Amino acid sequence: MTPNEKDYMDRYIYQVIRRLSKAQRDEVRMELEELISDMYTDKGSMEEVLTELGDPAEFAKQYQGDQRYLIGPEYFDTYLWFVKVVIVCAAIPILLISLINAIGEMPAITAQNSASVIIRAIVDGLITGITDAILSCVSAFGAVTLTFAIMERKKVQFELKKEEKWSLESLSGEGKTPTSRSRWTPKFLEPVPDKKAIISRGDSIVGIIFIVIFSVLLIFAPHFFAAFFTEGETVMTVPIFNLEQWGIVLPVFILSLLIGLADEILRLVVGVYCRLVMISNIVCGVLQIVLSIIVLKVLPIWNPNFVLEIEQALGDHADSGARFLTYWNADMVSNGFLAFIVAITLFEIGVTIYKTLRYGVAVKSN
Amino acid sequence: MGEEKDLLSSLLLELRRGTLTISVLSQMKEPKYGYALVQSLEEKGVAIDPNTLYPLLRRLENQGLLESRWETGGAKPRKYYQRTKYGTEIYEKLKAYWQNLSAGMDRLLREEES
Repeated sequence: MTPNEKDYMDRYIYQVIRRLSKAQRDEVRMELEELISDMYTDKGSMEEVLTELGDPAEFAKQYQGDQRYLIGPEYFDTYLWFVKVVIVCAAIPILLISLINAIGEMPAITAQNSASVIIRAIVDGLITGITDAILSCVSAFGAVTLTFAIMERKKVQFELKKEEKWSLESLSGEGKTPTSRSRWTPKFLEPVPDKKAIISRGDSIVGIIFIVIFSVLLIFAPHFFAAFFTEGETVMTVPIFNLEQWGIVLPVFILSLLIGLADEILRLVVGVYCRLVMISNIVCGVLQIVLSIIVLKVLPIWNPNFVLEIEQALGDHADSGARFLTYWNADMVSNGFLAFIVAITLFEIGVTIYKTLRYGVAVKSN
Repeated sequence: MGEEKDLLSSLLLELRRGTLTISVLSQMKEPKYGYALVQSLEEKGVAIDPNTLYPLLRRLENQGLLESRWETGGAKPRKYYQRTKYGTEIYEKLKAYWQNLSAGMDRLLREEES
């Protein structure tokens, strides 16, 4: 077997096993190595062997059986992992937020009732926390499942379209051996992607955790983003965000984060740097920058009375506060954040473009 | 034209699907590896594509009708399949059913010819 033929064998096996569940892959790889080298010994030409075996997608279907899936084996492992990460990232912060809220709203403690007040606060916090957490987990589960299901359908449509095109071509070439042109041949085989082109879960996990936790905080606890003061025994807070207008700001904010999440899902599902991942990253990045501009520069995101409220809260401590106040300037903060977001997004797009062009494979979008 | 061809090939596929299981089980009294099975079936006039056979062998193994082991002693690792006791029981029943069925089919088709 020449190195070139061995390469084609590897390409073929890769195209079959990437469509199977992780548990099956190693075993099927060995089986196929055995089969293809046996057939090669028998026939003497790798091209003939692979042509006889036919389209690897069809071969993989035989291994999968004829079941229909909402989310097929090709994506299922990634999907399961993703659901776990998202649910954990949503549930834990929500529980914590509810506990903190409940304890914060606790009535004054006196010596006689301290234990019962604290216990009641914790129980109240846990009850709202668990309710909110269950609701959020259900919606997070739904959003992730929907995204994966759409990708599964799109892939199927793409494969159907490909077949349709082939048969149309063969129709137009009437009379000239209509079958041979629509047949799958080893020429269709893409090279096995470089190890550096593979997108690992580790690359994505930081982004996913950040997006989910930040979303949860923005939805359930926008008042946590605040300036804190201690005045004697009590803690004073002055929110940074404009909570009265939060109903307008939040959806745009969340949309931007969801776009980021969809991009992460697509990267994981495709699993290698390629044109599709690059385009998705660029489109999502640009959308996120546009939405950030809307959130930070157009919408009333900042608490307009922030300076005033701090002054009131500080009261007689105005001296120490005055120094801080000179730094607060809503426009400047907006610009700072925007510059930060644009820089991070452009950096990420840059890395993706570099890796795609350097190591990426020219895989089709299926 | 195309539709008729599609219909015919899907009917043939259905017809073949069940017979493949019996064909494969019939050959698995002694341990065999996949490609040897392809060749022996082909010699006996029951050709089966490797891309149908290999997944089928795995399915039969999952169903407990076959068992497999990797033989790593030779030039390259080979997976040998063999019928299990349960597989033999099922095979004997399938065989009896098939003989009955094919005798009946023969009568039906001959009647049509005459």
